[in-house]
Amino acid sequence: MASSLHNRMTRASNRVAFVVCILFTVFILALLALVTGYLVKIGFGSLSWDFFTKEPSGDPKFPGGMRHALVGTGVLILLASAVGIPLGMLTGVYLAEYDAKSFIASPVRFICDVLAGVPSIVVGILGYELLVAPFSRYNAWAGSLALAFIMIPIVARTTEEMLRLVPNSYREASIALGATKAWTIIRVVIPAATGSIVTGIMLAIARVAGETAPLLFTALGSRFTPTGWSDLNNPFPSLTAQIFSNSIQPAPETRALAWAGIIVLISLIFVLNLGMRVFTRSRHPG
Amino acid sequence: MRIGADGVLRYTTAASATLILLMLAALIVILARAAMPAVHAFGWGFLAEREWRANELSRPLIGPDGKTVKEDGETVMETIPPKFGAMPVIYGTVVTSGIALAVAVPLSLGAALFLTRISGRRFATPVSFLIEFLAAIPSIAYGIWGLFVMAPFLQEHLEPFCRSMLGNVPGFFWMFHQKVQVGKDTIVMPIAMTGRDMLAGGLILAIMIIPIITALSRDILRSVPRAQIEGTLALGATWWQSCKEMVRFSRSALFGAVMLGLARAAGETMAVTMVIGNVIQINPSPFAPAQTMSSLLATQFGEANNELHRAALVEVALILLVMSLAFNVVARWLVVGGASRTAQAH
Repeated sequence: MASSLHNRMTRASNRVAFVVCILFTVFILALLALVTGYLVKIGFGSLSWDFFTKEPSGDPKFPGGMRHALVGTGVLILLASAVGIPLGMLTGVYLAEYDAKSFIASPVRFICDVLAGVPSIVVGILGYELLVAPFSRYNAWAGSLALAFIMIPIVARTTEEMLRLVPNSYREASIALGATKAWTIIRVVIPAATGSIVTGIMLAIARVAGETAPLLFTALGSRFTPTGWSDLNNPFPSLTAQIFSNSIQPAPETRALAWAGIIVLISLIFVLNLGMRVFTRSRHPG
Repeated sequence: MRIGADGVLRYTTAASATLILLMLAALIVILARAAMPAVHAFGWGFLAEREWRANELSRPLIGPDGKTVKEDGETVMETIPPKFGAMPVIYGTVVTSGIALAVAVPLSLGAALFLTRISGRRFATPVSFLIEFLAAIPSIAYGIWGLFVMAPFLQEHLEPFCRSMLGNVPGFFWMFHQKVQVGKDTIVMPIAMTGRDMLAGGLILAIMIIPIITALSRDILRSVPRAQIEGTLALGATWWQSCKEMVRFSRSALFGAVMLGLARAAGETMAVTMVIGNVIQINPSPFAPAQTMSSLLATQFGEANNELHRAALVEVALILLVMSLAFNVVARWLVVGGASRTAQAH
């Protein structure tokens, strides 16, 4: 049977498209390898004990370390989580368990997703207007507020999704045995979903640990390791802000600290991501 | 007692949920209030104004006769107040996001088709995980890679290559040359290619939005009913023709996924700030440095020291917020709407 030009073109374009899809996927993975490979190479080459133990010395040739920034990020995440996790979880519980008889559940769910897409620098400006401008001082409270603002929608939605995955038979069995709705939620449903909810929280923490923009005009940055409560009322160091500040300095020794910081940050996020996957898989074997 | 506990939990969680609504309201209201001085000073013209100048200018006052005014033998100077306009940064955001979409959408769609129609399950899971890991890399890391790897590559290889290929082609003169004001004359100069320009910004954004669009498109394509795909194959379609039918079927949801990528690209700050060149100007060439709304905020907000400058910056933030909200709302409506329409009999 003679094949027409149309037939031949169709088959040729089919083969081309097939190969192109594979090529595009390979290209994307190659980009990933390129970016992470570069960051790993310069990062591990610059890691040292000094990084974890010293503060910046102010001398560009012997820049010291980023101990202050590690402590700073830890404190900021802790403060943000103290507000963000409870509020996020409570909202998630409401969206999952009280959805049927509520007229605000749908709008809240929608706005949660919308808030998650707000540029983080805009959240930083909100933090500035709320907690920096009135006091004329950069401080850690504003930074934590901005981070909590980003955390809450993420924790709320993941908590809701995980609670919805708990089979309804659990709830029905509990009610059938005479428990109240509150008891059912707190003592049956939430414990059943604990692992997954923790996963969602780890996701939010990983996201917030890598944020730079919201901290630029809230906590700003500092060269000193925070030691006491009063340090929270002043400019506060963070890993991301310090990396940014070091990376644009002219002295290569100072920049090397930024590379080390980047690899520490990425390792933290990678470990959190892996931990999430392992956690989820062990909860749902097979 | 028991009813009390029920009520406590219900109202506590309801209060928490209402907080979400308050958060959005607070964001809009507080930013709008802080931007008021600039809104009063510039009005709607702020959106179209092309000049952004934070400092005062001092120049000799020209009298009605065309000569400089002199009082007591000294030249009288007039001070021109700062002027702010959002058009350059809106332009920068639009162009970089456009480049990002043009590069990312074909790549993401190809990868999504690979994951749903070519690779088997065992291969698809690790590949999906790797692509999603691209999304977990913090923005500052992309900025560093962009500044120290991609920008030099563009400066030393890609852009000179483009210039050698297209520099003498008649239609592309604007891409490699610009008009520059020197004193009273306007001369044409070639654009200096530093590798830190809108092209660099667009490319780094493309890499950052690929994981989102790929993951969403993969999920959307996976939800196309098998009957639809098998129907096309039964009618004799090739693999590619059935793929095109899948894309056509879920086109509104895919468009929503692209819009979500666009929203992310428009709001991205750190990576773009480090590679875009940070010059507030409108230049049609992608090889010219520029400034996006978010990079403008990142570079100027910390150093703004007068009321009007800060208010103008907050107004830019407000424009950015409204844009991102609009994209997100439309995109979610499309993606969610598309999924529920697919679930019903088509």
